[in-house]
Amino acid sequence: MPQCETKYFGTVSYEASAAVEFPAGLPGFENCRRFLPIEEAARLPLVFMQSLEQPALCFLTLHVAAIDPGYRLKMSAEDMASVGFDQPPGTAVDMVCLAVLSIAYADAPTVNLLAPIVVNPQTGRAVQSVRDDAVYRCRQPLMGPPEMAPCS
Amino acid sequence: MLVISRRAGESILIGEDVEIEVLETGSGRVKLGIKAPRAVPVLRNEVRLTRDQNRTAAQEIPLDRLATALAQLRSRP
Repeated sequence: MPQCETKYFGTVSYEASAAVEFPAGLPGFENCRRFLPIEEAARLPLVFMQSLEQPALCFLTLHVAAIDPGYRLKMSAEDMASVGFDQPPGTAVDMVCLAVLSIAYADAPTVNLLAPIVVNPQTGRAVQSVRDDAVYRCRQPLMGPPEMAPCS
Repeated sequence: MLVISRRAGESILIGEDVEIEVLETGSGRVKLGIKAPRAVPVLRNEVRLTRDQNRTAAQEIPLDRLATALAQLRSRP
C-alpha cells in the first residue's frame, strides 16, 4: 500500500485507487496533479485534499451539497472531457462536488462556490470547474451573519 | 475606464500585439475572439479570482477554528 507525507496527519497509507488526478492542476497550482482526498468522520463534511507531490500542500474542501443543497453546476464541454464525462449534455452524472475553503486570519471561513472541484469517481480524474456566470461567489461566507446571542 | 461601443465583426487593439474582436452579441452575452502573443496570458477574471483564492486556501488553516462551522453544517436538517 503506498504511503504519503501529509500536512495535517503525518504519514498516511492509502489505497492507490483512492488518489485523484487533476490533468490540468488547479488555478495557481497547475503543476500539482495528484491528490489524495482524506475524510475523517469527526470532521465531516470536510474533505482534506492532500497533494501527493507536495506534502505541505493540502486544500480543505467541503461537500457542496452540505453547504447548499440546491447547488447546480453546468460544466463546460472542456471540463467534462478532462474528467472523462462522456454522457450526452443534460444527463445527470455521478460526481463528487467539493468547494475549496479558505480562512483569512481574522475573518470567517469562506468557500469558493464559483469554482467547485468536481471528481469523476469512475475515472479518478478531477477538475476545478470555474463557472462563467455570476451566480455564486468566490469567497462565500460559510456561515451567515452570527445570530444574536440569547440574553442570559 | 475607457468605454468603446463595438458591433459584431469589429475589433479593438491593445498595444501592437493584442486584438479583441466582437464575434457575436446576444441575449446578455458577448462572444469575443482574442488574438495575443503566446507570452500574454489571457484569463477569464473568474479564473484569476479562483487562483488567488486557492493561494489563500493553501496557507495553514487552524482546524480548531472550523469546529463551530462544521458542527453547524452537520446539525442542518
